[in-house]
Amino acid sequence: MLSTAEYVGKTTLNASKSLQDTFILAFNILSNFFDKKAYNSASKMVLINQIYFTAIQILPLFLSVSAIMGFSLTGIFLHTLKELGLAEYLGRIIMGFVVTELAPFITVLLLALRSSSAMNAEIATMKVNKELHTLEAFNIDVISYLVLPRALAGVISVVLLSGIFSIVVLATGFASSKLIFGMSLDAYANLLLNSAKLSDIIILIVKCSTFGFFITLIPIRSGLNASDEITSIPVAVLNGMVKVFIAIVVIEVLTLIARSI
Amino acid sequence: MRLFDDQDTLDKELARVKSEVGQRLGMISADIPLISNLDVWRNIALIYEYHRDIPENKAEVFVIECMRRYGLQNIAYKKNIFLSEEERFCVMLLRAVMLSDAVIVIDRPFKIMPYLKDTSFIFEAIGKVDDLFTLCYIFDYTRYKNRYGND
Repeated sequence: MLSTAEYVGKTTLNASKSLQDTFILAFNILSNFFDKKAYNSASKMVLINQIYFTAIQILPLFLSVSAIMGFSLTGIFLHTLKELGLAEYLGRIIMGFVVTELAPFITVLLLALRSSSAMNAEIATMKVNKELHTLEAFNIDVISYLVLPRALAGVISVVLLSGIFSIVVLATGFASSKLIFGMSLDAYANLLLNSAKLSDIIILIVKCSTFGFFITLIPIRSGLNASDEITSIPVAVLNGMVKVFIAIVVIEVLTLIARSI
Repeated sequence: MRLFDDQDTLDKELARVKSEVGQRLGMISADIPLISNLDVWRNIALIYEYHRDIPENKAEVFVIECMRRYGLQNIAYKKNIFLSEEERFCVMLLRAVMLSDAVIVIDRPFKIMPYLKDTSFIFEAIGKVDDLFTLCYIFDYTRYKNRYGND
């Protein structure tokens, strides 16, 4: 009984410490975010490279996934709505669920699987190889050179890729609605515009930005926490990715609560 | 050139020089490696771009020109892992001199190039970039005194 209480206490303390460290790092990044000095030539190049690695390299896979998911999902939704006689809710479901919920979720999952794990391993390897020591020795700020450009690239990538996902889903949604309901483009566009709410779009952008920020921040922090031993790299990646998954779920739940208010 | 009996004394002197010259200190040391996921030229250019805010294309031209002094322009787009010990030393030296008014400290050069018999290569390499730094120290252990000869 006592050992169980000890275990729970220890786990809670570790989780609290980890959360506190994450927020401290987030605060450091945000304070650098508005500092003009943080955007020197070297950091700008890291930002451009990170956007390329995170948002551009993934495009062929991402477009294929969004087209397949968009066509099949909207097809299933529309077919079910038709059977239930709920065709008038078509726009609300496409805008309210597929665009504002599914698009950021699929985007963040793909980016977390691909880029967060890569960043986690990259930073942990740098730590093991003493390359972070190199930055320190040459007075290069780790936050402004390593962390800020990656976090910024994460935010930009998730927002842009979610937008692309939404556009692809809406386009494939039109194909599905034409097949199932015989709907014209004008009617489809009107339906979507009438169902679109400004508050949903704002929540969508905030949610994507938060996703992008935390799916880069958490793996970087995990990588920075690796020890000097090479065996700590897989441990850092494992811990980081579990925390990324938890963060995704927490942000998703918080935005659902925000939308329902 | 400064020779020390043990690591503690060497580290203390290194810390003293560090506090004296501050941000002008360019270290060349096995403990301060090249960054493995950057090309060789980017390792050098990073210091130049970060501290002087020079655009990347200009930094690239300048760095390649500096690498030409050692005839190393052909390895500019390689990664650290593909370099020989001598090439790595020259790249570290170039990286250190990218700081403004650099004071360079070569920390235990035989740790970077263990098979070197004497210091002629080191002094030759330093001589090729002597217009790019203000002061140069070499720190090493007394036990390597014979490798330094009368230099």
